[in-house]
Amino acid sequence: MRSIRRSDARLTLGAGLLCVAMGCASVLWVAAVGGCGDPRSGPRWTGAHPGVETPRRGGTFVFHHETDVRGFDPHVAFDELSTMGVKLMFDCLLDYDYELNLVPSLAAALPDVSADGKTFTFRLRRGVRFHNGRELTADDVRWSLERMLNPATASPGVGYFAQLDGAAAYEAGRAPHVSGIVVLDRYTVRFQLREPDQTFLNALAMPFAAPVPRESYAPGARDVARHPVGTGPFMLVDWEPGIRVTFARNPRYWQPGKPYVDRMIFELNLQREAAFMRFLAGDLDHVHRLTPADRLFLGESRAWGPYRQAQADADLWGLEMNTEMAPFDDVHVRRAVAFVIDRERWSLARNHALAPLGQALPAGFAGYDARLPGVQTRDLVRAREEMRLAGHPDGLRAPVTLWIGEGPTGKIYGELAQANLAEIGIQIELKPVAYPVYLRETGRRHTAQMVYGGWTQDFPDPATFFDPLFHSRSATSTDATNRSFYRNSTLDALLDRARSERDRARRVAMYREANELVTRDAPWAFAFSSSRLEAWQPYVHGYRIHPVWTNCFRDVWLDLPRERITRRYAPRATMPAALLPFGAPR
Amino acid sequence: MMRFAAKRAAWALVVLFVVVTGVFLLANAVGDPAAANLGPRANRAQLQAYRRAHGLDRPLPERYAKYVLGLAHGDLGISLRDEQPVGQVLLQRLPRTALLGGMALAFELCLGLGFGIVAAMRRNTWVDTAVMSTAFLGVCLPSFVVGPFFLREVAFRLGWFPVGGYGRDALDHVYHATLPALTLAILGSATYARVMRSEMIEVLRADFVRTARAKGASETAVVLRHAARNALLPIVTMLGLSLPLLVTGAIITESIYGWPGVGRLAIESIAALDVPMILGIVLLASMTVQLGNFLADLAVAALDPRIRTGAGG
Repeated sequence: MRSIRRSDARLTLGAGLLCVAMGCASVLWVAAVGGCGDPRSGPRWTGAHPGVETPRRGGTFVFHHETDVRGFDPHVAFDELSTMGVKLMFDCLLDYDYELNLVPSLAAALPDVSADGKTFTFRLRRGVRFHNGRELTADDVRWSLERMLNPATASPGVGYFAQLDGAAAYEAGRAPHVSGIVVLDRYTVRFQLREPDQTFLNALAMPFAAPVPRESYAPGARDVARHPVGTGPFMLVDWEPGIRVTFARNPRYWQPGKPYVDRMIFELNLQREAAFMRFLAGDLDHVHRLTPADRLFLGESRAWGPYRQAQADADLWGLEMNTEMAPFDDVHVRRAVAFVIDRERWSLARNHALAPLGQALPAGFAGYDARLPGVQTRDLVRAREEMRLAGHPDGLRAPVTLWIGEGPTGKIYGELAQANLAEIGIQIELKPVAYPVYLRETGRRHTAQMVYGGWTQDFPDPATFFDPLFHSRSATSTDATNRSFYRNSTLDALLDRARSERDRARRVAMYREANELVTRDAPWAFAFSSSRLEAWQPYVHGYRIHPVWTNCFRDVWLDLPRERITRRYAPRATMPAALLPFGAPR
Repeated sequence: MMRFAAKRAAWALVVLFVVVTGVFLLANAVGDPAAANLGPRANRAQLQAYRRAHGLDRPLPERYAKYVLGLAHGDLGISLRDEQPVGQVLLQRLPRTALLGGMALAFELCLGLGFGIVAAMRRNTWVDTAVMSTAFLGVCLPSFVVGPFFLREVAFRLGWFPVGGYGRDALDHVYHATLPALTLAILGSATYARVMRSEMIEVLRADFVRTARAKGASETAVVLRHAARNALLPIVTMLGLSLPLLVTGAIITESIYGWPGVGRLAIESIAALDVPMILGIVLLASMTVQLGNFLADLAVAALDPRIRTGAGG
């Protein structure tokens, strides 16, 4: 008995001593090698020809994401990850340039639009070939759109094409074709709409409208999500599920000279920490998902300065208040919340990974106005005044439930809101729920009082925010996207008119009016747009953050240092090279 | 013996059935797979189209019956997340997880048994204290501490190993699996070391060891051939119980290192509320647990004649 006790004591003492020793060792270690966030540690390699701006061909570009790809069927893919790959392999009739203009892509020019704004005639670029070698024709455009609209495809994109004449009849199986898509000749296709809709061209630029060859996508074709065939600059070579996807240059690409890069490797399943370390080690050419600490380091690093870009996303985040439920059925309470949110403080708490915003449209959108009357800003006096007008000068007696998604991010904003709202006497109870539950319950009428949530653009047009978030049509009893269940007939009419208005200036004015209306009525306390930070290796050229497509690498070219070419991602990496310690060939 | 096996198999079936039913009900009660897969931007029409296409608009009992019927035919269903057959995806992921788990087990055994034997032989000396303190500390170090530490210091800063990932060919996979396997082994080996030490102390006192010594056998022969072999009995049971590690993987460790195994798949499937895939993984896991227990029983019976006569009669 005694010996056992003695050995126990020795064990405890030993473990304690070991702990102390390990602690000392780690302090010494950090002191000796320096922290990872050492601002002096810059890029490992520069390009071989610094300063030369003529695109060079060749090389392998390596990028990454956190999870796994679902599939590359352009008519079905609806998540960021899959769309990244889809944008490499598919083209649409139209695309966006970096200034948000619609530009022709597979179309030879922008379409001819009829006087009533309901007919769009496209002439196709000639000589465009699919990856399988066959030429793209107007028939393919029609066949692909019909495939997407076919209920058997279960495309999430159907709703964007609801204005097409005959689409409903085709979807219901009452017509063999969509009457609003007319093939005029081999290279000409005409779209006929029921009502004029200015967002139709935006819809045509979405991957949902990408032409695909019928022979590869006809019903019965094997697993089209894994065997994509498009017209884009890259082709799928290899897909190791959960590990990586490899793309190779499309030798028949219609844009002369492009693409520049021979191969692209999409590394999957890389957690943020590991991805950033790989980036610093030179094994990733681009990094975009960062932990708060890495983001802070990268944003402040002088060495990385020329090779990084920060840009506000086209999205909208804030507190959605259920206008059908007390206390938010009272506009004054909603306004009080909108005025008490301290957006600058939120930004500070997130290391400025967000751009404060107090209106219904992100900066840069038509209808956004930095000096919008009634813009939501932090104003404690006005917030208290609104609470008095609502008849609650001393705050609310009952606490309010705020639904947040499970996980650290939702919790941070929940707690920030909690602190802010306490200032006007509103107690918040946080309700963190798993994401699938969050989506189902917050989209159900009379369920969630208040929701922390956001919305990202589908295309760069104000309708992408207003129609799903604030139109009464979107306040369905279940699966609502209008989660504040806001109904305003004036706004509905304004939005419907704006959607079809062809005069650009008048249209912008309408959306500005809608913006002011929603901002004043405050179904949301608008808080911020998120802001992304991306970085790339010095030898990566031709990349900028695209305002619509996340991580669009189509125009990238590489000025590779010699060492980089011979390393891990060279085709057929030999084992000894891979076994060498990382630093050896540096 | 056959009766024993048949009884165990029948019990296993009952357990599997209960597990499948429970998980099926739970997973479907939690949330909406359509919303989880299409994300917050999906509107009502999109969600309904998705539900129709995947049969999620059918009543729950019907879906359950269909699933169980498929199961009886060996069909695990189609994943909601990427539309692949569940069985096929699991088969693809299994070898990866088995490699990681196998290496982890090997490391655990080498470290654990070695430590245990050394500590037992130098019982109550500073060697014993040092070795067992290290093991004690190992039990206290969870993989979410060791993993990022290894990744940052050993892989990134020292550059001895790749910073996560899976590699390109067989040898490369082993190379990539080393750090995650070590991460797992640190925790497991500590347990083995403690069990091995106490077993060894017990056995070293036994009469047959004294006899062996008296016959003039060398100390190495005594320890390795006579003592250690007999001390292995509880280790075999432990091995059987850790068989699921080879199959279900280590969810946290696989995530930290981006190891594309079953554990990582489990996390993604849960996030997407991919009910068929979750069910497939749970089935696989519970089957392995059953199998592991069964094998452990068999192995112990085979190794220890006393148990064999007791159960085999």
